Amino acid sequence: MSSNINNKITGIGQILRKDWQLYLLLAPMVIWFIVFLYTPMAGLQIAFKDFSLFKGIYGSTWVGFEHFQTLFNDELFIRSIGNTFLISLYSLVFAFPMPIILALMFNELHHAMFKKTAQTIAYLPHFISVVIVAGMVVSFLSPTTGIVNLVLDYFGFEKTYFLTNPDYFRPIFIGSTMWKEAGFESIVYLAAIAGVNPSLYESARVDGASRWQQIWRITLPSILPTIIIMLIIRIGNLVEVGFEYIILLYQPATFETSDVISTFIYRVGLQGSQYDIATAAGLFNAVIAFILVYSANRISRKLSSSSLW
Amino acid sequence: MNSANVTLSVSNVSLKKVYKRYGSTEIVKGIDLEIGAHEFVVLVGPSGCGKSTTLRMIAGLEEISDGTVSIGERVVNKIPPKDRDVAMVFQNYALYPHLSVAENIAFGLKLRKTPKDRVKAAVDEASSILSLDPYLERKPSDLSGGQRQRVAMGRAIVRHPKVFLFDEPLSNLDAKLRTQMRAEIKRLHKRLQVTTVYVTHDQVEAMTLADRIVIMRDGKIEQIGTPMDVFLHPANTFVASFIGSPPMNLLDGKIRKSDGKVAIELNDGCIVPVPHKDGMSFTDGQEVRVGFRPEDLDVVVNDQNHTAPMNCSVDLVEPLGSEALLHLQIAGQSAVAKTTSHGRSSDMSGIANTTQVFGNLKHLHIFDRASEQSIY
Amino acid sequence: MSSFNLYSRGDKVFGIINATLLTLFVLSTLYPFIYIAASSISSGLAVTSGDVLLFPKDITFAAYDRVLSDPVFWTSYANTMFYTIFGTLVSLAIIIPGAYALSRKRLLGRRYLNFFVAFTMWFHAGMIPFFLNIRDLGLLDSRIGILIAFACTAFNIILLRNFFESIPESFEEAAKMDGANEFTLLWKVYIPLSKPALVTIALFCIVARWNGYFWAMVLLRDEDKIPLQVYLKKIIIELNMDDQFASSLINSEYSFETIVAAIIVASIIPVLAVYPYLQKHFNKGIMMGGVKE
Repeated sequence: MSSNINNKITGIGQILRKDWQLYLLLAPMVIWFIVFLYTPMAGLQIAFKDFSLFKGIYGSTWVGFEHFQTLFNDELFIRSIGNTFLISLYSLVFAFPMPIILALMFNELHHAMFKKTAQTIAYLPHFISVVIVAGMVVSFLSPTTGIVNLVLDYFGFEKTYFLTNPDYFRPIFIGSTMWKEAGFESIVYLAAIAGVNPSLYESARVDGASRWQQIWRITLPSILPTIIIMLIIRIGNLVEVGFEYIILLYQPATFETSDVISTFIYRVGLQGSQYDIATAAGLFNAVIAFILVYSANRISRKLSSSSLW
Repeated sequence: MNSANVTLSVSNVSLKKVYKRYGSTEIVKGIDLEIGAHEFVVLVGPSGCGKSTTLRMIAGLEEISDGTVSIGERVVNKIPPKDRDVAMVFQNYALYPHLSVAENIAFGLKLRKTPKDRVKAAVDEASSILSLDPYLERKPSDLSGGQRQRVAMGRAIVRHPKVFLFDEPLSNLDAKLRTQMRAEIKRLHKRLQVTTVYVTHDQVEAMTLADRIVIMRDGKIEQIGTPMDVFLHPANTFVASFIGSPPMNLLDGKIRKSDGKVAIELNDGCIVPVPHKDGMSFTDGQEVRVGFRPEDLDVVVNDQNHTAPMNCSVDLVEPLGSEALLHLQIAGQSAVAKTTSHGRSSDMSGIANTTQVFGNLKHLHIFDRASEQSIY
Repeated sequence: MSSFNLYSRGDKVFGIINATLLTLFVLSTLYPFIYIAASSISSGLAVTSGDVLLFPKDITFAAYDRVLSDPVFWTSYANTMFYTIFGTLVSLAIIIPGAYALSRKRLLGRRYLNFFVAFTMWFHAGMIPFFLNIRDLGLLDSRIGILIAFACTAFNIILLRNFFESIPESFEEAAKMDGANEFTLLWKVYIPLSKPALVTIALFCIVARWNGYFWAMVLLRDEDKIPLQVYLKKIIIELNMDDQFASSLINSEYSFETIVAAIIVASIIPVLAVYPYLQKHFNKGIMMGGVKE
C-alpha cells in the first residue's frame, strides 16, 4: 500500500522533472489566481466576525450570524435585494429580445454596404466607457441645459429633473444600457444565423415562403438553441446588474428604486468602512450568484450538450 | 546538380515484443518487426489497428509500454524524438502558416543552431530534390496540396535522418494528386535510399510503394511480405479480403474426400475440385472458405482443365470500360466477378442472364473457417 | 443583379420597412455622438439655449482650450496610456503561458486546474474582501497594484486555452521532433499560430483598461495616478449632478455642457481611431469564446 503511494509520488516527481518547463509556464497564473482571487475568499470569514482593522482578518473575534441578522432586519438591504431583481427582470423583458430582433433585421438587409455600415455603427457604443455614457445621460437630462428638457420646453412641457425622480431611474438605466449594448450583443445571434444552411432558405423560397415566413419558420427555430443559452446565461447573471454604471447615475433621491445589492455594499463597505457587514452582504450576493450561474450552466449543458465553459 | 549524389547514412529499425497500453486497453499487442536499412516498409490496416501508434512509438511521440524499439544498434525507448535521428511527415503536414516555405524547411535546423550557411545549403539541396525552388519565398497557404506535401517532405529531408516516417501523408489529397505524389515518394526513396516506415489505410498505396507490406489488425501483425507475396499468398481471410480490389470472394463450403481426390461442396451442392498440391491435408467434412479473386471468376471458360463451374445469378452489371464487374449470388452468398471477356462490349444484356460462372483453379485459395488461416 | 423579379410585392414592402426601422435605429445610436461633437465646437450660449440640435453653431474651440489647458486632464490621459499599455503586457505575460500549459493534455491535474480557473467565473469573494486583500498586500494607491491586480480573467484564459487546444497536435509533435523545448514551442510555434486569438485577447485587455474606472477610483487616492475615466467621472458626473455649479459656468464662449462635450470627444477619439480594428477582432473573439467548448 505505502510503497504504492511512494511509487506514485516518485512518478509525479519524474513527470515534474521531465516537464518542468510546462509547470514553470503555468506557475505565474496559478500564483496570480491564489493571491488575487482565492486569498480574498479566505477574507470572506469577516462576514462572521466583528472585524477590526487592528486585529486583522484572522485576529478578529467571531460573532456568528450577527451581521446577517442585522442585514435582514435592515429595510435598506431588503430594498436593495428587491431592486436588484426588479432591474434584472425588467432588463430581461425589455433588453433581452432587442439584440435578437436586431440580428434578424440585419440579416434581412440585402444591401451589403448599408448592412456593414449599420452594423459598424450599432457596435460602436459598446466600446464607449460607462463613465462617458453616464456623462451623456446626465448631460442630456440636465434640468436647465440638457437637450431633452430644452426640447420638452420648446413643445410647452414642463422641465423635469429626470435623474432625481425615482420613477424614471429604471427606464433611464435600462434604456441607456440597451443603447450601449443591444447592437453589440446581436453579434452572437448573427453568427448563429450565419450558421444556418442556406439551402433551407432556397428550398423555402421554392415552396413559396415569404420573407416573414422564412424568419418565423427557418431563422428563428434555427437560432433557438443560441437564444436559450443566452437566456440561461442572462438568468445566471441575474444578480450581476451593472453596478458600476448605477453608481454613476444614482443619487440619494432615487435610491428607492436604484439602490441594488452591489451599490449597497459599496456604500456601506467602501464609503462607510463597515467592512464586516458589507462582506456579509457580499457573501449573500455571491452565494445567490453562484447558485444561479451554476444551475444555469448545468441546465445549458443538459439542453445543448455544449456547456458554456 | 550535385544534389543527385547525396548519400545519407541510414539505419535499420527493429521492434521487439512492442506493446502499447492506455490503462487496461491494449492498442498494440506485442509486435515483432525487423526493418532493414534502405527498406521501404508500409504498415497497412483498417483504422484502429494500431499502425499509427506503432509509427508514433518509433518516432518517440508515444511512450512504449513494453518491449524495445531500436534504431540502428541503439535502443531508443527512453530517447526523446529529437535525438532519434528520425524525421516524420504528418498527415496534415504541420506546416507553419506564418513561415515561408524556406523557413519551414529550415525550422528544424535552426532550432538545432545549425550555422546559417549550412542551413541554406541544406534548404537548397532539399528544394532542388523536390523541385520547390520557385516557391521558397511563398507561404504554405499559397501552395497547392501537392506542393505542401513536398514542403513537408523537404522538412524531413534536410535533417538527413536515418529513418523517414510517414503518417498517412496522402490522405488529404484528391485521387489524382495522390497517384502523382505516390510516384514522387517512390522516386524520392529510390534516390535517397533512406529507411522508410509508411503508414496508410489504403492498400493500393501499400502495394505500389512497399518493399514489404505489414498488414495489421487489432494491434497485431497479420502478415508481413512483399506486395506480390501478400497478394498471391494471403495468410488468412483478413489479409485476403484486405489486399486486392475488389476484395477476394469468400464462399463457405465443406471438404469432401473420395478416391483420394479432394473437392469442396458449396452450400448449394456445387462441387469445386481442389487440384493436388504437395503437403495439403484436409479432413472430410472440414468447414472451409473458398477464395476466388474477382479476376479469377469469369463467365467464359478459358481453360477446361482448371476451371470450376458454379451456379450463380447476376444482380448487377457495372461496366468499367475495359472490363466489367458482375455482382453475383453464388450459393446464397454475394460475390463479384471481374470479367475482361465482356469489356469493351457495348451490349451487356447478354451477361446479365448468365447462370454459370467459372472459377480459375490455378488461383484457388482455401481457408479454415474456424481459424481463418490459409490451408492451401 | 438579376433582371427578373426575385421577390414578391409583400417581400419588397417588408424589405423597405425593415430598412427604414434599421435606419432609425442607426440614427438613434449615432445621434448622441453627433450632438456631443456638435456641442463641443459650439458656443456655450448656443448650446444652453437649445440652438444646437444637429449642427454646431457659433463655432468656437473655447471649450477645448479650457479642457486641454487643465494639466490634470493630461496627467490622467498619460496615466491611462500607461495602465493600458503595461497592463495589457502584464496580462499577456501571465495569460499566454498559463493558457498554454492548461491546453496541454499531459499536464498533471489538468481537470482540477481548469476548475481552479473556471470556478472564479462562478464565485468571487466580492468587493470588500478583494479591497482588504489589496490593502493587506500594500497595493493601495499603487500603479503597480493597478497593473497586476487586474491582469487575468478566467474568461480570457479559457478563450485562449480553447484556441491553443484547437491547434492540431501534429504542430507540437513536428516541433518536438525538430528538437523544440517547451519555451521555443510556445514562442516560435503556438504564439505565431495564435495571432488572431492573441490580438483579440489583447484588445479585450486594452478596452477594459481604457474604459475601466471603478477600481481605479476606489484604490487610487493620489490625483497624479488616476486614469482618464476617473478624471472624467469627477468632472462630468460629480460636478454636473451639482446643477448650481453647472449653471454658474455659463458664459458666452463655453458652458459646462460644451466642456463636458469636449472632454468626451477628447477621450473617445483614441477609441474611434482603433475602432475598425477592434470591431473586426471582437467579432472573431466573441465567436471563439462564445458558446463553445
